[in-house]
Amino acid sequence: MYEMLIMALPGVLQPENFLAIVFGVLAGICVGAMPGLSATMAISVLIPFTFGLDPLVALGLMAGIYNGAMYGGAIPAVLLKIPGTPAAVATTFDGFPMAQQGRGGEALQVAVVSSAIGGIASALSLMLLAPPLAQVTLLFGPAEMFWIAVVGLLSIVFLLGGNLLKGLVAACFGILVSLVGTDTVNGTDRFTFGFYELLDGIHIVVLLVGLYAMPPVVDLLQTQLDTTQFKYNKDQTKSIWVAIPKMFRFWKTWIKSSLIGIWIGILPGAGGSMAAFLSYNEAKRNSKNPDDWGKGEPEGVAAAETSNNADTAAALIPALTLGIPGTAVAAIMLGGLLIHGLQPGPMLFRESPDIVFGFMWQFLFGAILLIFLGGSLATNSFAQLLKLPRPLLGSLIVVLMFIGVYSINERMFDVYLMLIFGAIGIAFDKLKFPLPPVVLGLILGSFAEENLRLALTIGLGDWGILTKSNTSLVLISLVVLVVMTPLIKKVRNS
Amino acid sequence: MFKKKLAMFGALLLSSGIALAEYPEKPITILVGYKAGGGTDVMARNVAPFIEKHLGNGASVVIKNMPGASGMIAVTEVSKSDPDGYTLGTFNLPGMMARTLDRPTEIGADSFTYLANFVDDPNVIVTSKKSGIKSLKQFVEAAKETPRAITVGMSSLGGDDHIALTKFSALADAEYTIVPFKGSAPARAAIMGGHVAAGILNISEVVKFRDELNVLGVATAERSSFAPDLATLKEQGFNIVNGSMRGVVAPAGLPKNVEAKLLAAMEKVGKDPEFLKKMKETGNPTSISVGDDFQTLNGEQLEIAKKIWESTPWK
Repeated sequence: MYEMLIMALPGVLQPENFLAIVFGVLAGICVGAMPGLSATMAISVLIPFTFGLDPLVALGLMAGIYNGAMYGGAIPAVLLKIPGTPAAVATTFDGFPMAQQGRGGEALQVAVVSSAIGGIASALSLMLLAPPLAQVTLLFGPAEMFWIAVVGLLSIVFLLGGNLLKGLVAACFGILVSLVGTDTVNGTDRFTFGFYELLDGIHIVVLLVGLYAMPPVVDLLQTQLDTTQFKYNKDQTKSIWVAIPKMFRFWKTWIKSSLIGIWIGILPGAGGSMAAFLSYNEAKRNSKNPDDWGKGEPEGVAAAETSNNADTAAALIPALTLGIPGTAVAAIMLGGLLIHGLQPGPMLFRESPDIVFGFMWQFLFGAILLIFLGGSLATNSFAQLLKLPRPLLGSLIVVLMFIGVYSINERMFDVYLMLIFGAIGIAFDKLKFPLPPVVLGLILGSFAEENLRLALTIGLGDWGILTKSNTSLVLISLVVLVVMTPLIKKVRNS
Repeated sequence: MFKKKLAMFGALLLSSGIALAEYPEKPITILVGYKAGGGTDVMARNVAPFIEKHLGNGASVVIKNMPGASGMIAVTEVSKSDPDGYTLGTFNLPGMMARTLDRPTEIGADSFTYLANFVDDPNVIVTSKKSGIKSLKQFVEAAKETPRAITVGMSSLGGDDHIALTKFSALADAEYTIVPFKGSAPARAAIMGGHVAAGILNISEVVKFRDELNVLGVATAERSSFAPDLATLKEQGFNIVNGSMRGVVAPAGLPKNVEAKLLAAMEKVGKDPEFLKKMKETGNPTSISVGDDFQTLNGEQLEIAKKIWESTPWK
């Protein structure tokens, strides 16, 4: 099972495939460093452009961006107390106080090394866990798949935190969008309003670009960023190679935060920001001097940054094996795989092992490259990004969005559709409705429907088929558990 | 009336005469009705360089994917484009003709100039190892014992696999429950996992999975060179020849000289050993029919689909 892993290595190391990772990591750090721009947005804008690329080049870019952005978010978090990505919120707690004490360079070094370690741990978990998991996925028939989709949808609503009702509304909106198009079981057209462009449903990338890229772009153009408190003194910062040995004292935090990040990544719905908060709290609880936390404790930066990178590759475990993405980014990457004809599921590992395992290696290399690219070379230059004129950047992204969406099917219809989703995204953003449930609603909604109907066809109309197997029963208890979580929390707190 | 026709003919002759003096003088686009990487796309990408080679004259062929509505968006676009030989498209049988029956479409059998069919991927009947059904005889008996108790997974309704099963049900006088998955990969996974008892797939989709499935029979007239050890359905008393066919068409009304050039090139592509080798390497069972033969094949497929649609509409 694992020999395929070794066999995929030479392909990854080919110059163009490797360069893709390098470029991806650099681009990812830049994107992450720009407040408002996230990995999700960058990858969704990029995906349409990867149609014509070799799969490994395209996937290498995505893996690089994902890893890079998760670290890049730490740069403004540390220097300006503005998290570059949602996952970097916890990084501000101790990172910014460090910067105010003139230790911003040190904080960024801790962040980059911790990010790399989290990323490496995550890539290893993907390599070790996905292949055996893929083997048991044949146990999952339509009935079981239906329950998995239900677990995924409910967990994003119930575990995301924030307003439960808004989460539910967002998920339902996603499901509504998923209903558009020809239904797969008996071919009836639904909600197409006579547009043949809607017969195949709404392309996930169209929704993602509108929903995820439009609000930050508008925000980018709307708000001015105060860079006057920007402090980054290069002279006070030691070379990263000198700094690394001193960081080994964080080893416990690194291991714990990696494990938390991986676990959260595998769970559908949660994602990087939750992983970072959990790890931060866990590390603080175990610290000998918890009072220093929040006042510039490097270990706090280490905990948050390890964990938000540790969920990256792990989120792909359910995506690659079952076709169920753990996070919004994983959902987009799934879209990227589909574009290249790579159908997630147990067969993926047998039909395209070179690509799947290559993709895993790319995650590993992307994480390692962080130290070289983010740490020793260019953190200083990345920090300068904050001074880029924002209107320029915003308009550039809008252009890319238009070209990208148009190129999916080469039709303006999709661009108009994207603009509609953009408007909806802005409204959601202003009204504080969460976006991830919409994306998972679109993906899992049709998935759940299709599998439910298939299961009922197989069961000749008997709903009992849904509780027939042990796998289904386990999944049903998971559903109950997920739904009860907010209640349990409430009881515990009171 | 006659004058008008004459004028039109003259205009056509004039325009085509000027534009197509040296066909092809600009890139030829092949519209592919599916996403890059799928079976139809692979066929188009394999064929393209050989069309260039055999058209000569520095011809260049560009592939453009226009996925959607089971390939109907692209093929409709082809039918509507100028019949100048610069827009060709992929064509799937029996799917394309079946679609003209189950929904209102803007195309029909006479919307195209039929250039060549390249692929014929025959259907196979497979069962899950868990089902305990190891022979065609058992497959029929089990369905006769309890009608509709045997579930049969397939990639979609109205496709080649559906038509194959419909033919089989009629010949065997047995009823099955059709379970239409979204594509053949999930259907195959469900068969392997034993979630459905049986399935209709194409031979190229099962060759790598022979050990994990029971292959009961192949819907070919003679044994397939892809897996010569597999018995045909015909040998076992069910004369069914059915499969998924993929070819290339142009809009109807091509100028005669262009049509002749294209057909001559297709003829040569179909006989090019290098091309046949490449198709085999990429897992495409070939069956070449050019021009009129292809048109006849299309007519036959439409007739079969019509019969099935009338007796057992799938929608």
